[in-house]
Amino acid sequence: MKRHLFNLALAITAPFVLILAWFKASSQSTNAFFPPLSDILVRFADLWIFEHFVSDIIPSMRNLIIGFALAAVLGVVIGFILATVPVLRVLFEPSLHLLRGIPPVALVPILITLVGFTDQMRISSIVIAAVFPTLIATMDGIKAVDASLKDVCTVYRLDRKDRLLSVYLPSASPQIAAGMQVSLLVAFIVMIASEMMGTAQGIGAMTLLAQQTFMAADMWAGILLLGLIGFLSNVLFDLVKNRALSWYIGSKKMEKVS
Amino acid sequence: MKRSSTVPSRRDGQTLSQKPGNQNEARGINYESPAAKFGFGILGAVLLLGLWQFAAIRGTFGNGLPTVSATLIELFALFGNPEFWTDTFTTIWLAVLGMVIAVVAGVMLGLLIGTIDWVRYATLAVTEFFKPIPPIVVLPLCVMIWGPTNTMALALVLLGTVLSTTIQVIAGVNDTDPVALSTARSYGMGRVERLLRVTLPSASPYIGTSVRIGAPAALIIVVVAGLLGGAPGLGSAIYRSQSAGDFPQTYALVLVLGVLGLVAQNLSSMIERRVLHWHPAFREDVK
Repeated sequence: MKRHLFNLALAITAPFVLILAWFKASSQSTNAFFPPLSDILVRFADLWIFEHFVSDIIPSMRNLIIGFALAAVLGVVIGFILATVPVLRVLFEPSLHLLRGIPPVALVPILITLVGFTDQMRISSIVIAAVFPTLIATMDGIKAVDASLKDVCTVYRLDRKDRLLSVYLPSASPQIAAGMQVSLLVAFIVMIASEMMGTAQGIGAMTLLAQQTFMAADMWAGILLLGLIGFLSNVLFDLVKNRALSWYIGSKKMEKVS
Repeated sequence: MKRSSTVPSRRDGQTLSQKPGNQNEARGINYESPAAKFGFGILGAVLLLGLWQFAAIRGTFGNGLPTVSATLIELFALFGNPEFWTDTFTTIWLAVLGMVIAVVAGVMLGLLIGTIDWVRYATLAVTEFFKPIPPIVVLPLCVMIWGPTNTMALALVLLGTVLSTTIQVIAGVNDTDPVALSTARSYGMGRVERLLRVTLPSASPYIGTSVRIGAPAALIIVVVAGLLGGAPGLGSAIYRSQSAGDFPQTYALVLVLGVLGLVAQNLSSMIERRVLHWHPAFREDVK
């Protein structure tokens, strides 16, 4: 018990100790790459809370949210159609896997050639890149629907609509959620990449610009903000997922107990 | 809860659209046969390529979309270009080297963190915080320190893959059968021997998973390092062709990356299956 308390205390204090150590170690730093943490935090407040909140953070976040939402919806819909219509599945599954093999960021230059340097380009890059994880997960999830569940559908003479929407979709939803989580990560990566390629707007662009002009503190401030967004968006997704899939998580727990 | 045992299964052949193989024969076409899969797969690809060609000829996207034929011609031209092969080799080499280092480092860190309780608690917050943050976030820092070099790309690959490998190994260590550990202890095995003979083998499927997920990720990170950071390889080749306005080449290179990504995925899961063929999780595959 004592040991457990000690471990818990360790887990809670460790991050603070690390931040404090960074603060102390860097306070006298004259290294061009690693400025004092206090400078970074000052720049963080100046840049992101005051100067660039409206001009850069809001467009970036808007692109991320719209792009991810579209990708999630499209992924589920297309995945659902492909999984339930065998002709379409055998027609397009191989091509799909080739497209999925393309690194998501490599789609950005393609979209630039097609649409140019606009928000439209950024959102469509995010959508196209982030759609695949959800799409594939939806297909796999529906493919993996338990055979006995299908039998129950038959016994109860459910029609196609009921069968698909009230049995197959919920049954595949844990896998779909896992796919969406990957989609969110991809959307975040492509958001940054689309801003780092030749534009002057957005958090990614600001961060890269700071690097190119050797403003180390500004660059660190950008990295901190991006890191926080990456972390918090994942936490938020987990919260929503655990809420929506509480029935599934509960049943898994029951299974473990019994 | 075995519901299916009392249910006479799948009599209703018409309404079930999701059926394994032989069930589709009622409709005349067996979509699951290898020949049908192959034929339809080709047909689907041809359809998509046709759509692309149509859009390119109609000029839906201006001159930004090259025709399929122009792209394929460029692709074959690339095969005769030694620079392309150097770029491809650099990309693959960096990804493989990064992955090997990441696995070695991940196994060592994972064993350390996973077997010593207080180390695990002390690092918990850090690993949980950095887990969902992709390496592209620190790309500017890496470029600032190392410039557009191979070292930068390699550092980025390591930053992106070591943590996930470590987390997998920790999960594997935690999953070790306590009875096996106690047995080993009562046989008088020392700490190191238990680590190498019990913990490590039982964590190996997790290491396999981390390689399967990590290999395509490593490839992607090398491309990102090239595309956005200017590191040598296919990424910077894409950037150059795009900014030079040589769009057929951009498309050809992206296609090459698609194939490479596919190869990385299949190759790594094949290696996983081969190396771990003895493990119960992979034995089921054999019929």
